[in-house]
Amino acid sequence: MTDADIIVVGAGPAGSCAAIAAARSGKRVVLIERGPFPGSKNMYGGVIYPRILDELIPHWFETAPIQRWVVRRSTMVLSDTGALNIDYRSNAWGQAPYNGATAYRPDFDNWLAQQAVAAGADLICSTTVTGLLRDDQGRVCGVSTDRPDGDLTASVVIACDGVNSFLAKQAGLYPTADADNYTLGVKETLSLSKHIIDERFGVRDNQGVDIEILGGTSGVNGGGFIYTNLDTIAVGVVLKLSKLSAQKKRPEDIIAELKRHPAIAPLVEGGQVVEYSAHLIPEAGLEMMPKMVADGLLIAGDAAALCLAAGIWLEGVNFAMASGMYAGQSASAAINANNVSANSLKSYTDRLNKTFVLQDHKKLRKIPHLVLSDRIQHKYPAFVTGVVERMFRVDNPTPKPGVRRIVSQERKKAGIKLSELVRDALTGLKGFG
Amino acid sequence: MTIAVCIKWVNYSGPVESDTPDERFAGFSFADQAALEWALRIAENSSDEVLVLTAGPVGAEAVLRDALSRGAHRAVRIDIDLTSDSSVIARNLVGAMSQPRMVWCGDYSNDRGSGSVPSFIAADLNIDQALGLVALELPENANASFAAVRRLDGGRREQLLISGSAVLSVEGSTVRLRRASLKNTMSASKQEIQVITATGGRMDTPALRPYRPRPRVTLAPIGLTALERVKHITDTSSSKGHGETVHAEPSAAATLILESLRKWGYLP
Repeated sequence: MTDADIIVVGAGPAGSCAAIAAARSGKRVVLIERGPFPGSKNMYGGVIYPRILDELIPHWFETAPIQRWVVRRSTMVLSDTGALNIDYRSNAWGQAPYNGATAYRPDFDNWLAQQAVAAGADLICSTTVTGLLRDDQGRVCGVSTDRPDGDLTASVVIACDGVNSFLAKQAGLYPTADADNYTLGVKETLSLSKHIIDERFGVRDNQGVDIEILGGTSGVNGGGFIYTNLDTIAVGVVLKLSKLSAQKKRPEDIIAELKRHPAIAPLVEGGQVVEYSAHLIPEAGLEMMPKMVADGLLIAGDAAALCLAAGIWLEGVNFAMASGMYAGQSASAAINANNVSANSLKSYTDRLNKTFVLQDHKKLRKIPHLVLSDRIQHKYPAFVTGVVERMFRVDNPTPKPGVRRIVSQERKKAGIKLSELVRDALTGLKGFG
Repeated sequence: MTIAVCIKWVNYSGPVESDTPDERFAGFSFADQAALEWALRIAENSSDEVLVLTAGPVGAEAVLRDALSRGAHRAVRIDIDLTSDSSVIARNLVGAMSQPRMVWCGDYSNDRGSGSVPSFIAADLNIDQALGLVALELPENANASFAAVRRLDGGRREQLLISGSAVLSVEGSTVRLRRASLKNTMSASKQEIQVITATGGRMDTPALRPYRPRPRVTLAPIGLTALERVKHITDTSSSKGHGETVHAEPSAAATLILESLRKWGYLP
């Protein structure tokens, strides 16, 4: 008899949801976390979209440790001195059933893991899984850990060990690792009083703001973000790993530069850094996804590169929670069928294919590379802000120029060929559907 | 026999912004960890059971489970307000031990506690105490006496030979606590923890206050001018003191000295 039915490695959003789903189906579940508590090692750079939890934890919003409900969603394009801000506000997002939220991951992930414990899972912290155990036929049958007497057997292992998953690599499910597929997310959390945050960002009570930024990354391909917590704000950048390395720039210098931008400085002024964190992000979507199923093994969350970085849509936690939930359900069903072969566990990827998890990634498969391409990163911000600058600048007595003429002149000034503009527009239209 | 280990549930995270300790950042000090390890080592060579105790709210059970996962046999939590007096905590801890062979404690806790609980335990149990141990040499025979080195003020050290029942407090540097096995970690999460509701009040201790010599009556300085009066007080060229040479046997001289000190106000 095995020590457990299902071992879930990693108590992040994917792991905890996998554990909840599996424990609720009556399975003996062990959830292993390497940090001293769930969420202690986790970070993110934006918004949690927790509606997927409706299925798993009804009325989750009554107990989840949310900082603010996002009611303002902005996309900002920065040139060296200018900024174009497209801002949408809906106060309805601040009421049930809600849309997106900001949260501290050590709070949110810990809360989610406690739901798994309440469902019957055993949570083991401060324990690092060091490898997979295999039976005589090479099937995964457990894990080894860094604790004495640390081997643990199970019918199914669900690897939710995050980006750069050692377990998925050890299982041979990641054929190659390409630095171009990863970004480095770097974030400062700045302390400001709630009153100041409310005033600066035009919100009240527990309403929040999420600003995604194109440009402002000191010439390194990537983007920036600012979002509000109750009495802190988070400001950070997401930087393409290969470009960051090639340009030999320090991420903290890039954040400092972003904070000095005339459009950002008034928002962050006076904020004291209370936390600095950095984390790899699997940015390339479908193009970098590993095989997610093997005999006795499932991969979910960031470990399976299920992070959507598609320009206007930047989501990860919801994909992690959904994939974890489906992994838990599929593992449980396979155990019930007394068959944990890859073929039987394939119901996991079937579920992913039928839902937003893989459908969104398929639809937007070309967008991540398009957004991080040199042209979009280095030429478009200047082009877009140049056009807007001239449209709204009043040069009387000179009469207003035609918009078509401005666009043409600014396009040439930014060094974008007409054919490139058309091609990018078509790719964007096609990609975004 | 029982070897008791008292550990204190404290917050690791430095400045605490909230009145309620955040259980995620709580644990027990390196000194308490060392105390547990020494107790486990002694128990390994004997038939003693290791009883681990802590005082605090439900959250404090996390450190007991941690101790159980590392090899302690039994755990007791004294349900008590963490701000309670050390003597009250000690008395309740003692109440939960039944004639322990030894009581091990950490020399300090991470929350800048007074370190007085071990002394109160020793007083309440009426057994010896050896506090602030910085080195120990355990014999193979767990019941034999063993040598230890105790820290004294001013960097001095005292060598001790410990035998019989005693309360021992150790520094964190003396030994590193073993890592719990995976199986023990899993079973400890389900192991029963005995909870005892705290009772009783303060332990009676004599009232102490800093020594203050009684006031002396001195005459007003003599002099017509202010300068003369100041000189009268401050002048050291002539003797105004109590200098006196006497010739006497040692016991009579000692009596004389004490009488003089009393007269001059240096002794009560």
